Amino acid sequence: MKSQPQPTPAQRVKLVRTFPRFNLSQRWEHAVLLLCVAVLLTTGLPQKYHTTTWSQAIITSPERLNTIQQIHHITALVLTALVLYHLGKAIYLISRRKLPGDMLPTLQDIKDAWAMLLYLIYIRKQKPAFGKYNFEQKVTYWFLFFSLGIMLVSGYVMWFPKVVTRLIPGGVIPGAIMAHSTEAIVTLIFIVLFHFYHVHIERLNLSIFSGWLNEEDMRTYHSLEYRQLVREPHSEQDSGVPKA
Amino acid sequence: MRGVGKQLFLFVAGMVLLGSLAAVILVNTKAYAAPGETIGSNGSQTHLAADLAGSGPIVSNEVCLGCHGKPGLSINLPNGDILDLYVNPENYAASVHGKDGYACVQCHTDLGNYPHPTFTATDLRDVTLQLTNTCDRCHSGVYNLTMDSVHAAAQAAGKREAAVCTDCHGSHSVHPWTDSKSGAILPEARLDIPITCSRCHFAIYQKYRSSVHGAALTDEGNTDVPTCIDCHGVHNIGNPTTAAFRLKSPQLCAGCHTNHEIMDKYGVPTNVLNTYVSDFHGTTVTLFEKQSPDAQTNKPVCYDCHGVHDISRVDNPETGIQMQQNLLVRCKVCHPDATSNFPSAWMSHYIPSPQHYSLVYYVNLFYKFFIPAVLGSMVTLVGLDVGHTFYVKTRRGKHPRAEGTPPATDAQPPSQPSAPETNDERIDGQQGPQNTPEGSHD
Repeated sequence: MKSQPQPTPAQRVKLVRTFPRFNLSQRWEHAVLLLCVAVLLTTGLPQKYHTTTWSQAIITSPERLNTIQQIHHITALVLTALVLYHLGKAIYLISRRKLPGDMLPTLQDIKDAWAMLLYLIYIRKQKPAFGKYNFEQKVTYWFLFFSLGIMLVSGYVMWFPKVVTRLIPGGVIPGAIMAHSTEAIVTLIFIVLFHFYHVHIERLNLSIFSGWLNEEDMRTYHSLEYRQLVREPHSEQDSGVPKA
Repeated sequence: MRGVGKQLFLFVAGMVLLGSLAAVILVNTKAYAAPGETIGSNGSQTHLAADLAGSGPIVSNEVCLGCHGKPGLSINLPNGDILDLYVNPENYAASVHGKDGYACVQCHTDLGNYPHPTFTATDLRDVTLQLTNTCDRCHSGVYNLTMDSVHAAAQAAGKREAAVCTDCHGSHSVHPWTDSKSGAILPEARLDIPITCSRCHFAIYQKYRSSVHGAALTDEGNTDVPTCIDCHGVHNIGNPTTAAFRLKSPQLCAGCHTNHEIMDKYGVPTNVLNTYVSDFHGTTVTLFEKQSPDAQTNKPVCYDCHGVHDISRVDNPETGIQMQQNLLVRCKVCHPDATSNFPSAWMSHYIPSPQHYSLVYYVNLFYKFFIPAVLGSMVTLVGLDVGHTFYVKTRRGKHPRAEGTPPATDAQPPSQPSAPETNDERIDGQQGPQNTPEGSHD
């Protein structure tokens, strides 16, 4: 390899400047969330569609159903722990006044969404410039945030009907079953259609696993944040705070 | 030539002769077998014909009744039981066999000669058990069905009192319970059935008698309601305590309770099965029924809440489970720590509506709009995005050099290591209307 003189190693080296996007905790949270949602959907959907042949190929016996339900319950506990960790961390950061607010929805997101729509229907000629999280990523976060909330609450209501009905009328149980079963579909549709499109098809964005984005992606998709970072390159604690 | 013609004639004549002989035999056999058909059973007629043709001497009934038609004839069996040998001629003549002219010795096949062979039965029950085999000779179809029944199994296990043919149908005074043409059970037979079963199963009969079905049958003569056999079967009566029976039982009840023809007469809703199946208990039971019909399940089926034989109206103030406190009693069988709110967790066969289970109704309504809204907006956004990306890429190909944009940006957009300053400028430029890679189209 080294015997070949051209091109010189210096020419072949491609310098890629990377920008931190997600810290280790966030990347782990996403990985656990991904696993939990995948397991919950694979164990939950066969129970919802129990009349179909594909479901009956999975639920072949009462023992199998029991196992599937146990996996579902254990995964739900893991997911609950994750959600509690996430909320706890947010509360801790708020109490220390350290929560980077860039995931919070703002008026600018609505303007961005409108500008994006105009761009997509060929009225505007360029995309709006985004900060650390664009409105689509915020929609993804908050949509799943509330989806998980509904799934967890309704799930626990279904799981412990006797405890729940000690406090509130029994009608909430079938209501919770209906919500749990239907919200799951909404979540699935949303993840597959919206999230998968943006992180796999529109462009392969693996920053939630690696933790960083390269310069090109930063420039193209997070220009406001990029400008901030390259102007004040070494102030880490401000990295997430939009100042625009 | 003449010789050949004669041979042909002889051959044809022989065939005609043989053919007519066969036809005569067939017609005669059919005529002989005819009584068997009127029994309306699936007993084999050839069996009967062969039996009549091949068995011992056929003695006319008058000969038998010469001795057995007079009261008082009896023998002592070895265990001391007295077997009455009197047959009431009128009763027999009025029975289904008597009407069709069957001979005594067609059932009592070994008694055609006198003196009769020595009696081998040791007691009265033994007499019945020995003689009931004779039903098989004509009614082998249903006889074989009874061999699969819980009664036959009990017999095989040594329970001699378990029912055999004559215990239900009687012996010399058998009356038809089915229509001889259609095979349907006669209305008056339906009234008889519970009483027949009650001869052994009296405690259950009493429960049935007071149930919504039994009371309608007995008090009103209503033959729409199920009798014993509608749930338990007729000849091949299965064991109702098996897991398989339990899992199948909702379909059993649904047989009538989803039938509009019957239910509409009484204003009983027919959505009971689908509301049961779509709710948590029924979902599991239906799944088990399909997947492993022999699995034990603790999930309730119809009769766990409505009662087995003592099924009552749901609006009965004392026992009806429309009353939540009555239902709670049923819930507590499986959920001992259930409280008074708990029974309403079960939707009581209601289809959610603004009046009943409004929460479920409105949750469902919400998602009816929410799912299409999410799906629609996501598809629209993604679709527009795909379309636009495609548009930008194709336009870019046509105009590689966009005005005001450095050629390097378009030619090799990714991963160009650049100094922050130049990048800054480019990003500033991106804000401007013409200075962007996407801005290359006009």
